[in-house]
Amino acid sequence: MIQSYFRRYGMHLILIPTALLWLSPLIWILVTSVKTRIEVFDPSSGLLPHVFIWDNYPAAMAVAPFGTYMLNSFLVTGSILTGQIITISLAAYAFARLQFPCKNLIFGLFLLQIMFPIYAIFLTNFLTIRELGLLNSLPAMIVPFIASGYGTFMLRQAFRQVPTELGDAARLDGCGHFATLWYIYLPLVRPTLIAFGIISVVTHWNDYMWPLLVTNSESVRTLPIGLGLLAKSDSGADWTRLMAATVIVVSPLMMLFVIFQRRFVDSFMHAGLK
Amino acid sequence: MRFPSLKPTRETLVAMAMLLPSLVFLATFTYWPILRSIYFSFHDVMLGSNKIFYLGWENYERVLHDSLFWKSFRNTAFYTLITIPMSLVCALLLAVALDSKIRGIALYRSAFFYPVMIPSVAAGMVWVFLYAPGYGPINGMMDALGLPKLEWLYSSTWALPAIIVMSIWKYSGYFMLILLAALQLVPRDLYEAARLDGVSGWHQLIHITIPLISPTIYFVIIIGILHSYQIFDYVYVMTQGGPADATNVLTLYIYQNAFQYQDIGFASTVANMLLLFIGGLIAVIALTIGRRVHYLGR
Amino acid sequence: MATVSLRCITKRYGEHTAVKNLDLEIEDKEFMVLVGPSGCGKSTTLRMVAGLETITEGQMFIDGVDVTEAEPRERDIAMVFQSYALYPHMTAYMNMAFGLMRTTSLSKTEIRSRVMEAADILNIHDLLERKPKEMSGGQRQRVAIGRALVRKPKVYLFDEPLSNLDAKLRGHMRAELKRLHAELGITVIYVTHDQVEAMTLGTRIAVMADGRIQQLDEPMAVYRNPFNLFVASFIGAPEMNLLHCGLDAAGLGHTGFLKSLPINALEAGEDHRSVLLGVRPEEISIAAVGQGTMTGRVERVELLGPEALAEFSIGADRLTARLRVDQVPPVGTDVGLSIDERRMRLFNADSGQAINFESV
Repeated sequence: MIQSYFRRYGMHLILIPTALLWLSPLIWILVTSVKTRIEVFDPSSGLLPHVFIWDNYPAAMAVAPFGTYMLNSFLVTGSILTGQIITISLAAYAFARLQFPCKNLIFGLFLLQIMFPIYAIFLTNFLTIRELGLLNSLPAMIVPFIASGYGTFMLRQAFRQVPTELGDAARLDGCGHFATLWYIYLPLVRPTLIAFGIISVVTHWNDYMWPLLVTNSESVRTLPIGLGLLAKSDSGADWTRLMAATVIVVSPLMMLFVIFQRRFVDSFMHAGLK
Repeated sequence: MRFPSLKPTRETLVAMAMLLPSLVFLATFTYWPILRSIYFSFHDVMLGSNKIFYLGWENYERVLHDSLFWKSFRNTAFYTLITIPMSLVCALLLAVALDSKIRGIALYRSAFFYPVMIPSVAAGMVWVFLYAPGYGPINGMMDALGLPKLEWLYSSTWALPAIIVMSIWKYSGYFMLILLAALQLVPRDLYEAARLDGVSGWHQLIHITIPLISPTIYFVIIIGILHSYQIFDYVYVMTQGGPADATNVLTLYIYQNAFQYQDIGFASTVANMLLLFIGGLIAVIALTIGRRVHYLGR
Repeated sequence: MATVSLRCITKRYGEHTAVKNLDLEIEDKEFMVLVGPSGCGKSTTLRMVAGLETITEGQMFIDGVDVTEAEPRERDIAMVFQSYALYPHMTAYMNMAFGLMRTTSLSKTEIRSRVMEAADILNIHDLLERKPKEMSGGQRQRVAIGRALVRKPKVYLFDEPLSNLDAKLRGHMRAELKRLHAELGITVIYVTHDQVEAMTLGTRIAVMADGRIQQLDEPMAVYRNPFNLFVASFIGAPEMNLLHCGLDAAGLGHTGFLKSLPINALEAGEDHRSVLLGVRPEEISIAAVGQGTMTGRVERVELLGPEALAEFSIGADRLTARLRVDQVPPVGTDVGLSIDERRMRLFNADSGQAINFESV
């Protein structure tokens, strides 16, 4: 009897503290963002603020154009996703349903791309962007990511599940390959598109290094860059304002995550099931 | 391979049209940069200048004799080789814990997974605060437990481990989800049969669970290795490579050489060494663990 | 007019030839059934008519127009697939309208009236707003047929459409299809492996094996006079009985026969040939022992309700007869069996070809 109780509740005994441990940074962010500066530096003041100070938020917004940053993040992430969906849909269809020479070799090139994230090859990519005259522009943060070997792979798997007879029926109904892709295949793989979309959005919204390299002026900066700048300029002085800014930066994705939890979790979970 | 006939079929033309957009971007932003990096590593090139001088293997010799390079390399290796196994173990334990059909699994899942949603720069900053020697909560807790307060990010001994801890916090949830998905595919009757045979929980884990989800574990390791590049973000924001290059890692070193010393040739060489290291690591994993991966019913 | 003409059609996949030099003329308003076992090339042939497979060699004409190189949508045909191939994300209405929207310049109202027309014929009005997963197999089947009907094509192609239905529904749908064919006066090419469907639906049937047409004729003609062993065994259930006989100057002989049956083989040949005598279960009747054509021992009896199937051993061969329930002798007894000699067929034991002969 005791054993079964332990089995059921014992797990919770271990998990709850662990979960709290994991949540603590988030709690600190939230809590610090509503404290006063003095409270932060006084280790004896404990976790919760004495008074809830909301001024930090407007202060953070005033110090840097977070509105612009957010807009840029939206534009960049949205454009990347749109570009990716176009390229991966076309490529995945070709790999799933068409015959052509050197098919496996070319697919290998797509797969190989997964081994070279931007962090690994940023230097010469920077030079390419510079030579294309795209430095310090929104396109600079968008174009390197438009082709996605991972997305192509995911979508090809999904397309292969579509019965070939549907393609036959579509052909009889007067569809060429492009029309078949648009009217038949894409609507049927919506869950996969959403899953990929979530992974893409999370990855690129939070990207720091690449935008750092290719942007220089306020008008094109994204949220992570804005936050990074704020962190460096403050250098340990104004934590409360910094934490408020962090909350602003982290909120969009976190809100989406809370609302669409199921989707987010499913997307990342099934990323591994290949 | 069938020898392609001279006249391309209509299907081939359609396929080429469909692949073209991706191929253009792949070529420009993946393969061309790699080729150029190799090219530059054999030359003397400065940022912003058009002059290129052929150097042969000189850059490589320089790199191999550069103590800072080796320091960064050691740091990178240390980081990668500690973070991944520890995140994996953490993730596995969490996944096994969550797989046992307890109530509130959705809440727990979110609690462990949410760090993935936070940009690395934000996470970095928060942990700078947490690690702050004077007023940070971590030292506060150390104090409360009667342990000595440490300098953490300001100490050349503890800076890198501090970042490692942060990485484990950030990625375990992500790996946990992937492993959880795999765990849920393991047929329950295997566990019941084992229980009937008197196999204890721990042994069940070692002898049943792990072999059956080994393809996923393999996948997680590879993903982990590829994600380890991201240490650049943390280091850039938290320690700038210091103190005294204790947290200088290869990606940062490349950055410094390229943008501070403007030496593209040298930086490319280091970049190639990094690629070789990562590639080599993946190859080793593929040949050791990859070989022993057990595919269920394939 | 809707005729289809296949001339010397060959289909090769690398080393493997699926269809070999096939000639077939399908007439207007005909219900042509291609029947045969899996792998005989019938589906491949149908797909070539549809334009879904390329034709390696040969020519294809629809209504006199050369369509050998034409795309499916240019051929004025419609196809009903084995698994219906309905678009899962579209309603029945959209499934039916989709092809019209893409290949014709009909207005929305015109399309609507066509869909309604087909819905009338097939009685699927209440299904129109549903998606395929909300329908049963039979309902999906009818929507698939509806999709073909709205096109008003010259030729209708059916690829084993009834295979996925349960037996009762299959019988019902067979009647439906027959009715549609009669009412609408359409030209149909129908592929199946089920010889019952072939026999009941076709105006003519083409029995195929190994990429070739083994026999092309009206169903009853194929039933009565199969060209070779393959057709003889494939058509008709239970299968035609085959007795290993010897043919010599005295006639057709078998260890179980009372006496040799005098035969005049119309083809010049050697004596003492071994041949196979084919006789269908319903062509055998019980006689008294020592009378009739042969003596056999009752081995097994299956009582089916309206009739019985009795299996006899004749020498080394087995023979199944269709009898009335009250005629069945007890298992283990020896009985006399009579063959309707007008219905006998002879086959060359090596080649399987039917042998022409006369009873004397």
